[in-house]
Amino acid sequence: MDVAPESKKAKNLKGDFWDLKNIQISIGEIISEEKPQEEEVRGPKPRPHVTDLRSWDMKLLERYEPFYAPFCDMCCLCTYGKCDLLGKKGACGIDAATQQARIVLLACLIGTAAHAGHARHLVDHLIEKLGEDYEIDLGMNVDIEAPITRTVMGRRPRTLGDLREVMDYAEEQTSHLLSACHTGQEGDSRDFESKAFHAGLMDDLVREVADIAQIVALDLPKGDEDAPLVELGFGTIDSEKPVILCIGHNVLPGADIVDYVTERELEDEIEVCGICCAAIDVTRYSEAAKVVGPLSKQLRFIRSGVADVIVVDEQCVRTDVLEEALKNRSAVIATTDKMCLGLTDLTDEDPDKIVNDLINGNIEGALILDPEKVGEVAVKTAMKLAPLRKSLKKLPEVDEIIQMASECTDCGWCQRVCPNSLPVMDAVKSAAEGDLSKLEEMALEELCYTCGRCEQECERNIPIVSMVTKAGERRVKDEKYKIRAGRGPAQDVEIRRVGAPIVLGDIPGVVAFVGCSNYPEGGKDVALMAKEFLERNYIVVTTGCGAMSIGEYRDEDGKTLYEKYGGQFDAKGLVNMGSCVSNAHISGAAIKIANIFAQKPLEGNFEEIADYILNRVGACGVAWGAYSQKAAAIATGVNRWGIPVVLGPHGSKYRRLFLGRADDEDKWKLNDLRTGEVIDGEPAPEHLLYAAENREEATVMVAKLCIRPTDTPKGRQMKLSNYIDLHKKYFGTIPDDIDRFIRTEKDIPIVYKRDIMKILEEKNWKPKKLPKEPSLLER
Amino acid sequence: MIGVNDRIIPWQPTVIAGPKQAMLVTPETAVMMIKKAKRPLMVVGPLAKRQPVLEHTVKIIRHWDLPVVSTADTYRALKEAGVESEPHGIVEITNLLKDPNWEGLRGEGQHDLVIFIGCIYYIASQGLSTLKHFAPHIRTLTICKTFHSNADASFPNMDDDEWFRYLEKMYTD
Repeated sequence: MDVAPESKKAKNLKGDFWDLKNIQISIGEIISEEKPQEEEVRGPKPRPHVTDLRSWDMKLLERYEPFYAPFCDMCCLCTYGKCDLLGKKGACGIDAATQQARIVLLACLIGTAAHAGHARHLVDHLIEKLGEDYEIDLGMNVDIEAPITRTVMGRRPRTLGDLREVMDYAEEQTSHLLSACHTGQEGDSRDFESKAFHAGLMDDLVREVADIAQIVALDLPKGDEDAPLVELGFGTIDSEKPVILCIGHNVLPGADIVDYVTERELEDEIEVCGICCAAIDVTRYSEAAKVVGPLSKQLRFIRSGVADVIVVDEQCVRTDVLEEALKNRSAVIATTDKMCLGLTDLTDEDPDKIVNDLINGNIEGALILDPEKVGEVAVKTAMKLAPLRKSLKKLPEVDEIIQMASECTDCGWCQRVCPNSLPVMDAVKSAAEGDLSKLEEMALEELCYTCGRCEQECERNIPIVSMVTKAGERRVKDEKYKIRAGRGPAQDVEIRRVGAPIVLGDIPGVVAFVGCSNYPEGGKDVALMAKEFLERNYIVVTTGCGAMSIGEYRDEDGKTLYEKYGGQFDAKGLVNMGSCVSNAHISGAAIKIANIFAQKPLEGNFEEIADYILNRVGACGVAWGAYSQKAAAIATGVNRWGIPVVLGPHGSKYRRLFLGRADDEDKWKLNDLRTGEVIDGEPAPEHLLYAAENREEATVMVAKLCIRPTDTPKGRQMKLSNYIDLHKKYFGTIPDDIDRFIRTEKDIPIVYKRDIMKILEEKNWKPKKLPKEPSLLER
Repeated sequence: MIGVNDRIIPWQPTVIAGPKQAMLVTPETAVMMIKKAKRPLMVVGPLAKRQPVLEHTVKIIRHWDLPVVSTADTYRALKEAGVESEPHGIVEITNLLKDPNWEGLRGEGQHDLVIFIGCIYYIASQGLSTLKHFAPHIRTLTICKTFHSNADASFPNMDDDEWFRYLEKMYTD
């Protein structure tokens, strides 16, 4: 066991959080419906330092070697100056692989810090409001309220005050990890990756803290499979009313806006809506709030001028939001220390004075760090400003667009800088001739996710995003959808129901659609993948922008998938867990399967739980759009738990993947803990972090990555049926590697038996021994 | 629309990674590279599924008897065009090419030249960066209509008509 010097101190648990009385654990009678016993169980590694879990990381990295795709050949971090690392080392001695690993660690730490800063803000604010003894109670159906915290910290958090101590630990670890990025520290790529895994684990931890805190303190749905269907889409916003738009990830200002509106019975007179995760979390707080859409809707919606007041909090907000808002005289209120936008801090100012100054244009915007005051100022400002802005709630007229488009010089750079190489110039040229259809096409299904790069490049400053938005305007009224409000964690009873079918393969997999909304070919692809797996009996879970993109699609019956499928954590369930921080409940569900179904103790027992998940829980994440460092941290954290993730092609720009080598049989050997034997395994899951080039490839890969060594023959047949069906659908044939996943003839799907037997004969296939208790760990 | 100076700026200009840039090649030079290679490999991506790119691609494969990897879902289109390929994700084949001990598609040893066509630009650029850094045993050539700075050798940025003339020369000269 690798133990860092810090570990001993870390395990010296002190403080009232770690009061040893009345600790609930969750082994023993887990199969029963009774509450877990109240006793302490200490696993081997509570509060682990990075080096405590290094041995597990090295096992993963041995099987799934890091694959580096440098974005940049150089290191630009120190004042020796830039070092070219192509075929040589830098002046400090670092090589290209190690530098890539360092950058990946940095990215993960940025993501972790974003979630941690958010979580710390929430916890401190809620403690100030409700007290540190405020109880963590997720209701009757969720006894294992914090599976990640229990596993990592070794204890159950009981109060908001306990969550603050989890934050202390995570922040301490994050500081150690960041220090390793300094010039002249870590010098091995695998050790950097181990640290990135640890950063990902800290990210898991703080996301769980953030969501639990907001669920219990704001009374958000507590694992409610019947969470309400709420309104989603540009077209659901009534622009005739005063409109307040929240952008970002912190629910607090939005919640206080809703409170102010509710207390004054203004619900019918004002629109409160949101973009990105703040939107999802505000609708968890109040189903009267509306979701405009994922982060890609920002520039488009701001340019439309519909929002009278724009309230920004933190993460994934356009940094030019103030500049853009001023063009339409929308008022901007910044609300957190993470994003002050150069605005004067008016937290202590009289609210009515702030309102007047915003309306009169005396100030460009306001920084208000008190959410309650934000609620009052935002509502009052919107009510007074809306009548004055009526003429500004519009986009350029068609004649203006044609005039603007006629300025185009045909240089073509707009499409060269477009992340998806969309035919921007062609669309502008057509518009110059009065045909807006190509611009409209870009607006639909988020083919253009309004990053604005084309405008930055245009030598004539043509406002292409505004033109795209205008061209899509006539379809805006159709952008009315439904999304299920984020329900929070899976209930323990649901885990009891699906644990065995998942581990044994009868439910072919749990597929999680998460990530950001810069898609290679629009958001519809996310919905189509979700639909494909729902129809095939998988459990589909989702959060954040992925959840919104799934909602922005209607099937052939004119219904969204949320209207068609229930929100239960079960086969054919479409489970919106909530915002990005709610991603923690996805790993949490896998952890709970190990605990509830297999009776594995959680507390301080990371490696055993992760090993269980890797080898037995057929789960796969899909981050089809890649944008933020938070997504890098989330994926890396998920990977350390043993859950593979498929990225879209943009995900290759995260610079690092974890790829397995199916052709190297030694990589797949397993320890059978039951018999003590080392046996030949199978490439299941074959990769840990994979980037697919298009939806078709990704869909087939997801089905493959849900295969696990513990599948029963019947379960394996189901999984292989899906893998083969999808491969035939998109590739036209039975997959050529099918022999790797047939252990005995009982695994062969009956429908394909003849064809598969032929392949097996050609490949001189021999039956394999089935492991009883497969593991990467030693007995 | 593509000016002379724009031909050798990467199609997506922000993929520039460092001082080293691909050598600009004509079809004649590309053919020389194939002739010189002992174990060339063709990697065909989904942008080559459309005609007439597919037809040109098939003719190049047949003319040089190239072993073929199809990325994404390109396998089906190639098979329907009468070409057998081995399907791999672009990151999977890049990972295999990175290993000097990989036996290659025909089991004859690692390839020494890889020719890319039709892969999505930005993921191809990332894969080429991987090979540039971690596969010094392999030369990379791209015959797309876009300049790939991370390759060892690349066609320039050009329009469809010029590109098709380039591709035709790959199997007629």
